[in-house]
Amino acid sequence: MASMDTISRNLMLDSLREYAKRRIPFDLIRELDEKNEFPTEILKEMYDRDTLGVHLLMIPEEYGGVSGGTFDIYRICEALARIDLGIATGVFATFLGTDPLNVGGTEEQKEKWLKRIASENLLVAYGATEPDAGSDLVNLRTRAEHVVKNGKIAGYRITGNKQWISNGGVADMHTILALAPGGPSWFIVEKHMEGFSANKHEDKHGIRLSNTAGLSLDNVYVPAENLIGMEEGKGLLQAQAVFGYTRVMVAAFGLGAGAEAMEHAIRYSQQRIQGGGPLSEKQGYTHKLIVPNYVRLEGARSYIEYTALRLDSGEHGLQTEGAIAKYGASEWGNKAADDAIQALGGYGYTKDFPVEKIKRDIKITCIYEGTSEVLEMTIYRGRWQEHLKSRGRYYLDMADRLDEVHAKEPKAGAHAAALGLRALAAVLEECRVQKLTRHQHVTFTLGRLICAAETAAVFSTAAAAQKYSETVRFDREGWQAMARVFAREAALKTALEGLALVLGSADAAVNLSDAVNMEAIQAEQKGMIADMDLVAQKLKQTFKAK
Amino acid sequence: MNIVVCVKQVPDSTEVKINPETGHLIRAGVPSIINPYDHFALQSALELKKKHNFRVTVVSMGPPQAKSVVQMGMALGADEGILLSDMAFAGSDTWSTSYALAKAVKKIGKTDMIFCGMQAIDGDTAQTGPGVAQQLGMPQVTFCEHVDVDGRRIIARKLIDGGHEIVEARPPVLLTMIMHKDYVPRYPSFLAVNASLKKPFHTWSASDIGAEAQFLGLKGSPTQVDKIYPPPQREKAAMFSGSGQEGMAKILQIMKSEHFLDE
Amino acid sequence: MIEVSNKCIGCNKCVPVCPFTAINMVDKKAVMNEACTLCGVCVQICPVQAITITREEASARDLSGYRGVWVYVELSETGDKAHPKKTKQVTFELLSAGRRLADELGEDLCAVLLTDKNHNYEKELGAYGADKVYMVEHDELFEYNTDIFSTVIVSLVTRHKPSIMLYGATIQGRDLAPRVASTLYVGLTADCTALAIKDGLLLQSRPAFGGNIMADILAPRSRPQMSTVRPNVMKMNEPVLGRSALVVREAAKLDKSLRRVKVLERKISHDQGGVKIENAGIIVSGGRGMKTREKFKQLEELSKLLGGVVGASRAAVDLGFKEKAHQVGQSGTTVSPKLYLSFGISGAVQHIVGMKASDVIVAVNKDASAPIFNVAKYGIVGDVHEIVPKLIEALKKAK
Repeated sequence: MASMDTISRNLMLDSLREYAKRRIPFDLIRELDEKNEFPTEILKEMYDRDTLGVHLLMIPEEYGGVSGGTFDIYRICEALARIDLGIATGVFATFLGTDPLNVGGTEEQKEKWLKRIASENLLVAYGATEPDAGSDLVNLRTRAEHVVKNGKIAGYRITGNKQWISNGGVADMHTILALAPGGPSWFIVEKHMEGFSANKHEDKHGIRLSNTAGLSLDNVYVPAENLIGMEEGKGLLQAQAVFGYTRVMVAAFGLGAGAEAMEHAIRYSQQRIQGGGPLSEKQGYTHKLIVPNYVRLEGARSYIEYTALRLDSGEHGLQTEGAIAKYGASEWGNKAADDAIQALGGYGYTKDFPVEKIKRDIKITCIYEGTSEVLEMTIYRGRWQEHLKSRGRYYLDMADRLDEVHAKEPKAGAHAAALGLRALAAVLEECRVQKLTRHQHVTFTLGRLICAAETAAVFSTAAAAQKYSETVRFDREGWQAMARVFAREAALKTALEGLALVLGSADAAVNLSDAVNMEAIQAEQKGMIADMDLVAQKLKQTFKAK
Repeated sequence: MNIVVCVKQVPDSTEVKINPETGHLIRAGVPSIINPYDHFALQSALELKKKHNFRVTVVSMGPPQAKSVVQMGMALGADEGILLSDMAFAGSDTWSTSYALAKAVKKIGKTDMIFCGMQAIDGDTAQTGPGVAQQLGMPQVTFCEHVDVDGRRIIARKLIDGGHEIVEARPPVLLTMIMHKDYVPRYPSFLAVNASLKKPFHTWSASDIGAEAQFLGLKGSPTQVDKIYPPPQREKAAMFSGSGQEGMAKILQIMKSEHFLDE
Repeated sequence: MIEVSNKCIGCNKCVPVCPFTAINMVDKKAVMNEACTLCGVCVQICPVQAITITREEASARDLSGYRGVWVYVELSETGDKAHPKKTKQVTFELLSAGRRLADELGEDLCAVLLTDKNHNYEKELGAYGADKVYMVEHDELFEYNTDIFSTVIVSLVTRHKPSIMLYGATIQGRDLAPRVASTLYVGLTADCTALAIKDGLLLQSRPAFGGNIMADILAPRSRPQMSTVRPNVMKMNEPVLGRSALVVREAAKLDKSLRRVKVLERKISHDQGGVKIENAGIIVSGGRGMKTREKFKQLEELSKLLGGVVGASRAAVDLGFKEKAHQVGQSGTTVSPKLYLSFGISGAVQHIVGMKASDVIVAVNKDASAPIFNVAKYGIVGDVHEIVPKLIEALKKAK
């Protein structure tokens, strides 16, 4: 679905934020976090079509929804994460649980179920994970057996256990992945069905406002019409088809929660006087704890938007892009939240200020919807194929395009980004020649380097554009400085770590040091401190002390 | 009855930033909101619509993105939306703004009540509402907390200095609204936002409303801004030390010099 | 200017719609009298487009004949035979400010008084600096009414052509002034906090964006230059007893039908008790340094003497010195009183964010490096337990 117009999207965002301001104050969140309690009433209100109806974003207009696109959903997910990642997860679970229907449901099934979800404000859960099957669904144990009546398949009996299901204990309906005789398939299971039960709510490190529970299915009978798509064996395809999209949502969570923590720290640093001046004026503070984190989050934002816009324009899959978006945003968000605690010192370590909770919450974004390690592998796999297919040109071509960007707009860090991509191409080629990808560590590390180098390319391209996205809260001068800081850091890391990686696993790497062009990358670092000073200044202006 | 509500898009004043060197406002990155008093005016009008089945039209003047506040009005229940948008309006002061809004109301047609916020939080002038009333020859009731309609009688509770009044007017009348203390601003649901896209919305230029260029913009505005600058910075505290008698005397002296106590 | 062309067919449609009864039919032709405010209702209603309003091109206006600084005299809302309406303090503040402007321009300072009955108001007005009082005494002026008062002011201004006119930025002033400005097509600047003369023009300073910026405003091409001025800002001059103003009586034809909005009921509340902390003008606040609940109670006495409200830091609330409703700060209430007196509060960030917008902050703490002094205007390093009782004693004596 294409995204809606900016004004409508922003009106929805305003409604969501205003609702949260009024109904979900920090004191309440703190209390629920302490009690490990799911705010049923708030979720029901957020789903209420006359109050908000956030879940309608996922539902096409013809079934009573508002037909949100990926960009819309990214913006709403970011806003939800800024409120509370547990509540955000509760909403996300419905999005996710609705997905198999959206992707694989027949017209009749959509008509029936999507309309019910829209009009009855149903909470939905997505039941895929099992004790032995996480990101790797091959070991699926839950089974669906045929129930035959009059020679026809009248229904299925499902038996098995699901684990760590968000909304598991509170959802009205579940989409359950089970192994049917024809292969893995999705089934719609309603909570009142006989033999279905939810286990106790987990006691988690973070996102304690989200309900997470295991599910037991003991010979649960579902009619044949509840098989999504009315065809067995399509389950894994249906699950894979939306990864690009669902990972953008979790990426938005990492971005939203991480940026929220940072913005607390930036506002705080202007009030906290140490050694005769506010912390916000001290490089030892800003250039370590604030600037690098915020810059990385802006990079993640530009990559999320790049992926979302491509999905909205009708491209399918984008598994690698979804993985890069999520991996970058969640890892950088997690680091930012950690540094936000440090930035608030003793206050940050208490529960009086929200950063402590954000830090606990945000960790989940590195775990669910594909752990960071699974994503490193996914990113590596996707791009390694491109590298081989293009005979090593994939990143060189990308670097050439960055050179063109740089020729038009020299202030956006495109030159540094191009240097980083060329270094990456050299490292990948050396790995191929020396057959280094036999080491799993090499492949996963490459996944990480690819994420940073590609994000730099996308960020610099966005910062060079004539018109900025509606989400950019800085002026041109400030945002381009951020892109430069990001691109320099990414280029340096790609070259240094790539070199170290090859040296650590090969016998020799004679020409690699020249190939990654270390000299040029070092020369490109010129002006870094001045740019960081500028970014610190812009952050202070945008997030002034309240 | 036909109601027109005038709304304005304003920068969220809690987020406004100043360039410390030039003293100019930095608008980049400052979120825009509906002026809170206009929001209350809109809700007051929509409550009457609900009760009496009146027709409500939302009007705003501003750049194209100010469509947002008009669309919000429609999402909350208004029947129609109009945005006055034209480079010719840029730089208008309260006189010129009232002139343009009054022209727009004339074009809309028969209007029985006009609701405005008491003032906008970016300018805090409270002048546009009365200006519109005067240009249309309508009576005005300013600083209202509550408005009721009983047949052709319009009953308003309004603030006066040191108290309040209950007043009665007949249509047409213009009312400016303050916020009463129990007011909870409403925001539209996602469905309502989506549905508002299907309501009639028009963008009108100066010539569409028959406004003459000589009364618009900087040229037509009687007032002009000579200079904008940051308010004087708070200086470092004047520090004194002294316990007991001495400290007490110092505090008394400070309160006198700051006019909190008589000399 | 309003003109009726010979297209007029004398259909009489415009006469009843005129809100100011400013149209008469003379020889089957509409003729406007002085009550006309150029509001344009008749232009709309005329079936043959015989009525036109032409506004002078701003730059082409002749401004030379405009002289004098005028102050609108605001009287209190209620009065009776025994207790006549009083002149509000803001009027004296305006006269004090207006006196300076008039002296600098070398022009007269005039007060404009609309009332149903004069009670020697010219004496006070003169004492505060007015040279003249333009007085309109009329039964219909028994209470403020937008239509009636604006009609009278417009006609006075048109007749006497002042160069400057000031109103209090009160509810009444802010209702009246824009109506007048709109009629006359002249500049009006709201809620000014400073006035000066710059190159012969009135330079009007005012805060905008919730006090985040200041703007200086001029109205060079129209007269009078009009401002509403925030009360309690302009310094009042000492009244010169015995200095009286010359009274110039002005006539006004005022018809009952002008009163389009009618007052059904009026309540004046003198009760200032039970003020909420967010609206308080003066806050006396205490923190951990007050030591005990009993000692904290002294602040309540102090606050009562100053006509303020008690505030507390989070530490003080946590220690049970004061109820949570009085807590100032991030997890309490954000306040911006005119005066914030803090005793024994060190100034944790979470407290400071809630009170730093106060106009004047006076902090007392025994630790000279307490962060509260970073936001205070006045800091006193001393022992609150010695200072507070002495302060209470001194204030009691002064009463």
